[in-house]
Amino acid sequence: MWPLIKITYREMISKRIFAITLLMSLAFLVLFGVATWFVGEKISESLQQESDLKVMKTFFSTQLLGMGLYFGSFITALLAIFSSVGIISSDVESHQIDTWLARAITRRTYLLGKFFGLASLLAIYSALMFLGLAGINQWVGNGAMAVQLTAWQIFSAMGCFVLLPIILVCVALLLSSVTTTVTGGIILIILYGIGFIGGFVEQLGALLQDQSLINIGIVSSLLFPADSLFRMATISLFDTADNPISFATQGIFGTASPPSPAMLYYSLCYGLAALLLALRIFQKRDV
Amino acid sequence: MGEHVIETWNLSKQYDGKGGCKEITLQVPRGSVFGFLGQNGAGKSTFVRTMLGLLHPTGGKAMMLGHPIGTVESRQKVGYLPELFRYPDWLTGRQLLEYHADLCRLSRSERKKAIRDVLDRVGMAGRERERIRSYSKGMQQRIGLACALLSDPELLFLDEPTSALDPIGRKEVRELIASLRDQGKTIFLNSHLLSEMETVCDYVGIIHRSELVVQGEWRKLSMVKPQLEITLEVPEGRTLVWPPFLSGVRQVRKRDSREVWLAELDREEQVPVLLEALIAGGIAVHEAARKQQSLEEVFLYWIKRKEEEAHVAAHQNHL
Repeated sequence: MWPLIKITYREMISKRIFAITLLMSLAFLVLFGVATWFVGEKISESLQQESDLKVMKTFFSTQLLGMGLYFGSFITALLAIFSSVGIISSDVESHQIDTWLARAITRRTYLLGKFFGLASLLAIYSALMFLGLAGINQWVGNGAMAVQLTAWQIFSAMGCFVLLPIILVCVALLLSSVTTTVTGGIILIILYGIGFIGGFVEQLGALLQDQSLINIGIVSSLLFPADSLFRMATISLFDTADNPISFATQGIFGTASPPSPAMLYYSLCYGLAALLLALRIFQKRDV
Repeated sequence: MGEHVIETWNLSKQYDGKGGCKEITLQVPRGSVFGFLGQNGAGKSTFVRTMLGLLHPTGGKAMMLGHPIGTVESRQKVGYLPELFRYPDWLTGRQLLEYHADLCRLSRSERKKAIRDVLDRVGMAGRERERIRSYSKGMQQRIGLACALLSDPELLFLDEPTSALDPIGRKEVRELIASLRDQGKTIFLNSHLLSEMETVCDYVGIIHRSELVVQGEWRKLSMVKPQLEITLEVPEGRTLVWPPFLSGVRQVRKRDSREVWLAELDREEQVPVLLEALIAGGIAVHEAARKQQSLEEVFLYWIKRKEEEAHVAAHQNHL
């Protein structure tokens, strides 16, 4: 399987989308750092004048980090979708897959090699993105905007953050095994969109105490648990589960309706089921 | 393992009961060059892709190198050059070969030697560090051939291996095939370029509209319809009368009083009967030589025969 993982690494690295995403991610981190520095400076000045602005500082720091993580998660998801949705189908369409599969390897090895290659590279990317954002929050501007974080908070939040691209890869491989690159890409983007928009609808429903909106959110999270994973990451990071003022401290990225802990297991099962289904379909299909 | 590296029994791969290949039963002897002939769309590539496990058969069964097709074991010592040769263009030729060597589980030292050897064999030495996207079609086909040869396979599937090559490249590939056969390798050659096939093939199988029409040693197949080139002279007062059992006869050329005719017979046994009839008719027969039929003639003969059989069967069904 290792040769296939290596090929997948090289394929990813040689793709223009990967290089562009890396450069844009660096630009984003620089921008995020500059913004954090300026806000930190402003907050530090204000704190010297009015000591009761501590609540404001907490609000701004979690708000800024939540925003950064949201956008970071969005970039990671897009990279995961665009780099993995054609990983099987485009090779089948171009017949590049023929010479690989004519070798003495099983289709399971081929697909798992692709999966581990993609998933590990995206996991590294998303972990670096997460740590970059958290690091900027902690150290830029002498930590003026630092959210109080423990190692466990960082670790558990990063776990949820990294899980999203891995689950996207599982679903992308499933779609790539059954349909064309374009169709798979469209389906996956819509699924991801439903998951995220549904998440916002659920939070709105919780604020307005409207059960229908909450149910829409729950169903959309079951369809694709992207938003639940992001919210689990922020809850772990800001330690705001069951905190009634969570939404107030985190603004639009707050969680008025926290996902059930079972959602984590659901997400894991969701990804695993997609991968197993992809294996089953790929083994039976003609290429 | 038996004498045959490929054996199939009614192997079919059809799409909604149409196209592809249908009930193919054939044997490919070890150490031979087997030419699989057919028109475009006859089902040649479908058959090869089914043998390699890229397509799942819809019927029948097949063994390759002593193992059922679709298994890893059956592909252990197989090389393949596809008709639609497309390789990751972001790799260099050398990187492509290195990845394939990894998949073939070649050790580092074996890999180095094997890559050097195959690059030499296909005439790509010195160009291996260039990206595949900068290769011409012919070079891509050559690097594909290098990939197929990399693991020193016992059985090599070459699907239209010279389609992108110039005349010199074609000649080199023919020589390569001949040298591989001399090493005891078996080559399954898919092509519709009959003139190229006849110089290298030992055995042929002819596929027409998904079905195998005939298979066997091609020199024997070429004798199915004996042709005799007869140089004769018709004396004054005599008339040349051809016996009615000939299935065809035409004058090839005439020089002075000598005429050269090409007579087509149905059976081998008719050759002496024909000559006796001519002599008995007072015709001076100066020379009679068996004419070796070209592969194209053999191919067209069997295709025509198959078409006629199909026509008769359709007529009977209609009645």
